[in-house]
Amino acid sequence: MLEHQHYDVLVANNGLEALELLKQHEVDIVLLDVMMPVMNGFETAPKIKEYAGDVYLPIIFITALEDHASFEKCLRVGGDDFIHKPFDRVILSAKIRAHARTRKLSKEANEQKRQLQYHYNQTEREHEIVEHIFRNALSGQQKFESICDFHLSPASMFNGDMFLMAKSPIGGFYCLLGDFTGHGLAAAVGALPASRIFYTMVQKGMAVSDIATELNSSLYTLLPGHMFCAAAIIEISSSGKNISAWIGGIPDLYLIDGAGSVLKTIESQHMALGILDEDEFERTILHFEVETGTRLVMATDGIIESEGPDGEMFGEHRLIDTLGSKSAISTQEVINCVRSYSEHAEQQDDLSIAIVNCLPAIQENKTKAHYSSIPFDVSVSLDAEQMKSTDPVLEIVNVLSNVEGVDAHRSNIFLLLSEAYNNSLDHGVLGLSSELKNQEDGFLEYYSQRADALSRLTDASIKVSATYCPEKSCIIFEICDSGCGFTPSSGYTPEYSSEEHGRGVQLLSEIADSVSYNPTGNEVTLVYSLL
Amino acid sequence: MSLSKNASADGKTLTIQIKGKFDFNLVQSFRQAYAEVNDQTEKVVVDLRDTDYMDSSALGMLLNMKKTLGDSVGSIQISNCRPQLKKILQISRFDKKFEID
Repeated sequence: MLEHQHYDVLVANNGLEALELLKQHEVDIVLLDVMMPVMNGFETAPKIKEYAGDVYLPIIFITALEDHASFEKCLRVGGDDFIHKPFDRVILSAKIRAHARTRKLSKEANEQKRQLQYHYNQTEREHEIVEHIFRNALSGQQKFESICDFHLSPASMFNGDMFLMAKSPIGGFYCLLGDFTGHGLAAAVGALPASRIFYTMVQKGMAVSDIATELNSSLYTLLPGHMFCAAAIIEISSSGKNISAWIGGIPDLYLIDGAGSVLKTIESQHMALGILDEDEFERTILHFEVETGTRLVMATDGIIESEGPDGEMFGEHRLIDTLGSKSAISTQEVINCVRSYSEHAEQQDDLSIAIVNCLPAIQENKTKAHYSSIPFDVSVSLDAEQMKSTDPVLEIVNVLSNVEGVDAHRSNIFLLLSEAYNNSLDHGVLGLSSELKNQEDGFLEYYSQRADALSRLTDASIKVSATYCPEKSCIIFEICDSGCGFTPSSGYTPEYSSEEHGRGVQLLSEIADSVSYNPTGNEVTLVYSLL
Repeated sequence: MSLSKNASADGKTLTIQIKGKFDFNLVQSFRQAYAEVNDQTEKVVVDLRDTDYMDSSALGMLLNMKKTLGDSVGSIQISNCRPQLKKILQISRFDKKFEID
């Protein structure tokens, strides 16, 4: 009968055979008799359902039993419907069609669920990878526990807020509190390039205004138009007494004393990073002088915008009250206050706060330097043309800096060579008098006379040689000029001198181990120790 | 080698930043930089964070600035010196005339 209606029909003589057939064929509907040998319908139905799993596989019992208990049992063991023997063919085919529709829907739903699961798994996996990268990129930073206390609590797996800190080579402490538009992964992506730029520039000891400019142009290029990053970029000088700040789009910062009273409120000066192009961007910064031990508080808007039970925001005044509630308050204590205020509501935004203590930098112990054991010898002889067209001192310093162990001394070596070379050139070769520098505006006049004399110079030479002695770890410089010799200012005083010249000679003797002139005064020998 | 100058957002601080080497080659531009000091300016910062080298001519230029500005600004600060430059300033007793940070 069913084959007439174009159904494929498989026949099993008992429950076991039915289960076997299910495994071999894609069966859509099961018509099940209760009475069967080997395994009856009541035993078979639960096994069929177990086999079908999540997809709806309808079971229609065909039964001669008529008692209510049997009907009930049919349904309890997993039957979806039943029909009495002898059955009405119209009713049977109507029931089959109805259940087939339901099975079709169930199959579709199951397929969608499977796809959903697949995408979910894939997203989870990608998030794990990205989270791993973020963790390594952002939390690998050094801790500065005595200087800075901060707390970040993201509203989701990824933080749209970031807090970066680092020290420059000369001991300045830098930090950056940033708040990208929104929260979650979309907000966090900008943190990677921003952190790289920040660390690289701090490593070079660059100014806050330069860091802000670079971050802005990078984020302006990278981020889509509706995304930006509110930020406060702070530098505290190595003495802990000077603060430079670039602040764009971040809530007010506070300078507080040890007791927590607000000394100064610092308002945001600019638009957030990533909005203005390079031409429009404003790089101006603020400067503050502070007492040692002053604390700088900065927080993202998640703090002041946290909502209390009546929908009122936490607000600036509650933040100020909290800061003043005890001395040397920690960020965790502030966060606890915000949390207890907004405990009824789900966290809406990332909560971030940092408190920086303005303290002098602790001098780090220098590692022992290694010095080359090769006796380098550099010497140059310059004629008048070369004196006019070159500035040889820096070039010689750069050459010497390549000798292992010398680079750390390049500022001093520059000073020695610059003083000695300029003495030779100005006084030896050009015959200028330093007296001029003492007169009003003499400084400018001196250098214009120097330029004049230099342009007229024809026949002259200066010889510079530098000999590195590995066994004594020193460099011996000899600077000899073709002039008729000069007498270095005698009897300098180590006290501050009001004279505008002679300072160079004084510096020479302080920086070098020894300074000696030949009897005619046209050759100077300097010994500089690297130890 | 270059020189840049920036007034702070409130106009009270003028920062002169010197990159590379601070010597007589900057004599003109350094003078022009502090010529911008006006009534609002309370403080001049000479930022040496990017300065690798200086010699006695730089010291002379700093003293000239001090002399020219006199009491028209509250303080002149030499900031972010590398250790060797700081030592040069100390040898020359500049810590008596300038704030060295």
